[in-house]
Amino acid sequence: MFFNSLSFAIFLPIVFLLYWLVFNKNKTTQNAVLIVASYYFYSCWDWRFLFLLVFSTLLDYFSAIMMENSSSDKKRKLWLWITIGINLGFLGVFKYYDFFAQSFADLLQGFGFQANPVLLKLILPVGISFYTFHGLSYVIDIYYKRITAERNFIDYSLFVSYFPLLVAGPIERATHLLPQVKIKRHFNFEKAKEGVYQIIWGLVKKVVIADSCATYANAVFDNYESMNSLSLALGAVYFAFQIYGDFSGYSDIALGTSKLFGIDLLKNFNYPYFSRDIAEFWRRWHISLSSWFRDYLYIPLGGSQGGMWMKVRNTFIIFLVSGFWHGANWTFIIWGLLNAIYFLPLLLQNKNRSNMGEIEMGWDLGSVKTILNILGTFALTTIAWIFFRAKSISEAVGYIQKMVTDLHFKSEYLSNERYNFELVLLVLAFVVVEWFNRSKVEPLSGKASWVKVTLAIMALLALGVYSDYKEFIYFQF
Amino acid sequence: MKQFLIFIGKILIALLASALILDFGYTYIYSNSIGRNKVENVINTNNKKFDVIMMGSSRANNHFVSQLFIDKGYKAFNYGISGSKLQETALLLQLMINNDYEIKNLILEVDLNINSDSFSFGNQAKYMPFITTNSLVSNYYQNKLSDYNYVKYIPFYRYIKYEPQIGFREMFFSLIKRPSNSLHNYGLFPLMNEGKNMSHDLTDKTPKRNLSYELIKKTCKENNIKLIVVTTPVCENTKGIDYFRKINTIYPEILNYENSVVEDKYFSSCGHLNYEGAKLLTSKIINDFF
Repeated sequence: MFFNSLSFAIFLPIVFLLYWLVFNKNKTTQNAVLIVASYYFYSCWDWRFLFLLVFSTLLDYFSAIMMENSSSDKKRKLWLWITIGINLGFLGVFKYYDFFAQSFADLLQGFGFQANPVLLKLILPVGISFYTFHGLSYVIDIYYKRITAERNFIDYSLFVSYFPLLVAGPIERATHLLPQVKIKRHFNFEKAKEGVYQIIWGLVKKVVIADSCATYANAVFDNYESMNSLSLALGAVYFAFQIYGDFSGYSDIALGTSKLFGIDLLKNFNYPYFSRDIAEFWRRWHISLSSWFRDYLYIPLGGSQGGMWMKVRNTFIIFLVSGFWHGANWTFIIWGLLNAIYFLPLLLQNKNRSNMGEIEMGWDLGSVKTILNILGTFALTTIAWIFFRAKSISEAVGYIQKMVTDLHFKSEYLSNERYNFELVLLVLAFVVVEWFNRSKVEPLSGKASWVKVTLAIMALLALGVYSDYKEFIYFQF
Repeated sequence: MKQFLIFIGKILIALLASALILDFGYTYIYSNSIGRNKVENVINTNNKKFDVIMMGSSRANNHFVSQLFIDKGYKAFNYGISGSKLQETALLLQLMINNDYEIKNLILEVDLNINSDSFSFGNQAKYMPFITTNSLVSNYYQNKLSDYNYVKYIPFYRYIKYEPQIGFREMFFSLIKRPSNSLHNYGLFPLMNEGKNMSHDLTDKTPKRNLSYELIKKTCKENNIKLIVVTTPVCENTKGIDYFRKINTIYPEILNYENSVVEDKYFSSCGHLNYEGAKLLTSKIINDFF
């Protein structure tokens, strides 16, 4: 059940009405109805993986209590590592085993040995990377005594399986979400209205921007060997907007949906393509994952303590792990590595926190520099996305090589029966709308909201892509 | 909560109003367009007179050179549509009759398109803007579309369902009256290249009784249109070539022109003649019937 499907459009109002009108007696009944809805939502993909979700919930719930009840640090540490080991073990088996087995076999073959690896070829349970990290943050927080273990199983189950964030985040923290599910929620019209606006804008990003861009990006990437420089450059830009529209659109729908139930989720995107350097980009892109890696990997590794070498080492580690988190393919690892390389000059010059404030624009040279920085950062990011999108490293290298050496800039007719330049206007219009609303969560609220909502609905109807149905990219992670 | 339900009600009204406005706008634009494709051209014009028209799939669209008929003094047009199945061809012919077209001869290509009673989604789409305004289109699809009621009564549903064919892009081109090449060359779309290493396999295809073809025959008979039904050539390297012989076991009146053009140099691909091949085929048909 996708957020942009008819089944979700039926499911959501039913759950909403049950939640506020039937099971609104106390927070336990509210939580219970959300858990049932969440399990149903998850089972719509594959009911067999419900067992995995339930097991993960039970494991983290009981191990957190055991950790808290442990009399010694040694026992606490033991419980922590058992939990981390089992959680990452599941992730490893389902997501990474085949990759490691195949890579090892390839390596052996490189040395002249024959190897026939046993591959599991398992279906990846949807959202496993998200709820595993979700649970891990909880047990790590318990270990470091940042929070106390949750004793109410219903409340904890909802924290893990809450359907708006279950399959593609944002990756929540117990410190943020648990306090909200532990109290009865009261209906708040303004919050629900914000939620609806955010859902509509999320749908525009997904159905109008991402899916339109996808048809062009696919046509270019799938035939890159026969494309000219203009098509390849545009194809990369289209993919940049596809993945942004897709994932931030999903996040907007998730956050908006959650607001309908009176629960705030962590902000996941903050107009990342307006970043002035790559460090700022990573403070604005997939914020819940970046901050997860910062808090649970970078800082435990020593963070920025211990001199420049440690900083560089830790930065490379988190970018490589972040790349690998996205998928079991060398392309994701290179994507992470490229971002680490982009980050390096800022780190060495201690400039990685120089663009922390809002973007100020005026009619001066400083603004010109800001615009150039934004365009430069976008270009670097887009080049990295080529590795993210390509099926293999050689394909990504071939794509970039053709893009910079072909040097033909004529319009081309693509396999989706459209000219390569046709989508530029839509992308530019989207950028303009986002630019003038960059201080807001979404552009629909505020003055003339009804006009803006109606225009968004019209855009959804008239410009949305419905024939070539595309699932959310991040569901595969 | 009441305030929120009113708010949602307003959103739904905005959605419905938007769908109605867009539906009306798109339908109006398509109802006033004649230059984008053959379907809208037929629906939005009337009282045309032809000595001969040609219909069928791409194997009609690419194969029958209208100009050769015109050179002989006949008023001719190629109404073949790439990808079209006989279901859409039958409707197009009925629309012509409905719009008072006077047609003396119809050359109908029937060969690969007779092996099933299926339809072409892409060509079906071209009729959908007219399902609310044209009773013939509406009645024709009433029992053919499983979601007929959605298509007809839910505003803008059809433009979403058939978005690649009649969505925003096509509507915009119709609005600015950007002509397409489908009406050039009196309807012929000539293929200019010479195919290489061509082959085709027809072994898994079996001609079957086709209700749409029978409807076309009936329509011609009722309207005194001389119907000339032909098969057209495929390249020599085709497996299962007896497919064309099997057609005659079901419909003996279909004339086999499959072997009328043979050499590979006359083909663009195994199933399509190039312009030179098309001229040869058309000349043979003219010699035989006109």
